[in-house]
Amino acid sequence: MSAGLVVVGLGVAALLGAALAAIVIRALQGRRLGAVLATAGLDSASSPEARLHRLERFVASAAATQRAAEDAETRLVAALDAFPQAVLLCDEAGELTFANRAAARFIAARHGDALVGAAVRDLMAEVAGRGQDRGRREVQLSGPPRQCFNILVQPLTSGGAIAVAEDVTERRRLEDVRRDFVANISHELKTPVGAMALLAETMTGEDDPELVLRLAGRLHHEAMRVGRTIDDLLVLSRIETDATRAVEVVDVGLVIAETLDRVGQAAENRRISLEVEHLEPGLRIPGDARQLASALYNLVDNALKYSEDGSVVAVSCRLVGGDVHLSVCDRGIGIPAHDLERVFERFYRVDKGRSRRTGGTGLGLAIVRHVAQNHGGRVTVESREGEGSTFTLVLPSGAGEPVTARAPLATTEG
Amino acid sequence: MPNDYRKSFHDDLNELKAGVLHLAAMATETVAQATEVLLTGDMEGAARLIEGDDALDEVSVDIDERCFRLLARQAPVAGDLRAIVATMRINSDLERSGDLMVNVAKAARRMYGVEIPPRLRGLLQDMSYEAGRLLRLAGDAYSENSGALGDALHDVDDRLDALQREMVLAVFESHAKGEIDVSVAVQLAVISRYYERVGDHAVNMGERVLFMAEGSLPEHNGAARARARREARVAGATDAAGIDAAAGADGATAADVGAKTG
Repeated sequence: MSAGLVVVGLGVAALLGAALAAIVIRALQGRRLGAVLATAGLDSASSPEARLHRLERFVASAAATQRAAEDAETRLVAALDAFPQAVLLCDEAGELTFANRAAARFIAARHGDALVGAAVRDLMAEVAGRGQDRGRREVQLSGPPRQCFNILVQPLTSGGAIAVAEDVTERRRLEDVRRDFVANISHELKTPVGAMALLAETMTGEDDPELVLRLAGRLHHEAMRVGRTIDDLLVLSRIETDATRAVEVVDVGLVIAETLDRVGQAAENRRISLEVEHLEPGLRIPGDARQLASALYNLVDNALKYSEDGSVVAVSCRLVGGDVHLSVCDRGIGIPAHDLERVFERFYRVDKGRSRRTGGTGLGLAIVRHVAQNHGGRVTVESREGEGSTFTLVLPSGAGEPVTARAPLATTEG
Repeated sequence: MPNDYRKSFHDDLNELKAGVLHLAAMATETVAQATEVLLTGDMEGAARLIEGDDALDEVSVDIDERCFRLLARQAPVAGDLRAIVATMRINSDLERSGDLMVNVAKAARRMYGVEIPPRLRGLLQDMSYEAGRLLRLAGDAYSENSGALGDALHDVDDRLDALQREMVLAVFESHAKGEIDVSVAVQLAVISRYYERVGDHAVNMGERVLFMAEGSLPEHNGAARARARREARVAGATDAAGIDAAAGADGATAADVGAKTG
């Protein structure tokens, strides 16, 4: 950012230099030729021919300087236009004198851009008017989509100020993710371990066998919880590093059947009916069966956790273009719009109390996302609070054509 | 010299327009902010929003002053006059929308710690989205001087109205199920009304853009209906008196209009 600003600053200085040269040249071409000739040393005593020759050379060099200045200006404007950041210049009164291409969206703008534009102008007028050192402002837009802009304004020695405005939405998001991840992982691992230490301590010197039994039960519960978290972390890191995953032909129907079988008992206990919709028979995709099963299991398991007893969870599978869309739809509590974009982050929890009670590790959806990425696909979520959520795994069905019915890897002879 | 005057007048008009678009962006932003404050119980955000309304008022007052100056000094006519009058009224619609969202932030304060049931949260989010969209569209209509878009906002607003009705029913249901107590139910019903009012302000802005762009008023508002009814009455009276045929024919068309819109 600051390096960028220095480069821009240098560019601006050169730009001003060029402008100055142009002014000198214009003065040269103007009426005060006598004065100019005096500065050029043309009025000294010498032969008329020599003076004429010197004059010609002087005019030629002045014209060359002007051309060079114009070229330099064009090049600098082109360079500033190539900047992804918005660069704006203003004079001492705060009036805009230059805006590069990226800055055009903030001038005579509407909606969020109008707010950024107003903030830029405000800050420039402040810095240019009061000659303050520099100004920085961050503009947050609630959207949708949510955006964040960083504005930096620096006074110019020649008067006026330069502003650089930049969209830092993605950077801020990544910072949040990193910060929350570190905080969360220590919390997830430390809480059960701390509880275990405390339980063990209480058990020592406890004579009542009934109480010891209860404490042992709790100890076991906490151990299982931290064990699950570590298991999921290992699964996640394996999926993340597994570049050479097994590519086999996976029968999607089989993966769905396996998954539903695995969660069948849990669903039955809570009278939640599991439905399969739009399953194209014999649909196959290239991929890693174990990873895909793990991803689908996590989605269905999640759907069950957030559904009320007696509700419905539906799994569907369709071909859309060249992609297989594997969806898990529930009629649960849904996800607040605010959290929607973050649910795939490791350890991100919408409702902290609830998800720990249901025994989640906070890693399920992160695993799903990585499986999708490993398969060259993606995972999307649609949700409305109070109505339910639909998670969709979008997986490429192979090289352009869907693999259905017969196995393509076995070459048939004859 | 008169050319220079003209130029500066149109520069002033352009600046005025930029100011209104800035205010529209501010008002739109408060809708999303207020909803976020309400749904996350962010008290700092509530304080920021309530304080931020002063900045919105400042921009609004500035726009009004510019309008008065232009009216007094330039004595604009025709389209320019309509543009300035429309701008003044759009200005107050936007300022009022900001106030309504301050009300939401204040309600969020009163409801601090209350857990809003998911379905109601979803509906509030949807209403917020629709209200924001309407304000954005109204801004677009103004920016593009598009009477057609301005006129269309009336229909877009139907969705927000439907959501509000759905919300009120859901609040009743939620209360009947014992999820929320009476005071929360009343708060939520009133909040839904705030969003719905923002939608109405956006529709008003649309009508004013139509007036600004084309000099015509929308056909589906109360004034048009009242006029049609009065004309129908007059026509009925003249028909009964059996005066001349031309008046009778005019009366028939007016009665038709009355029947259509009434």
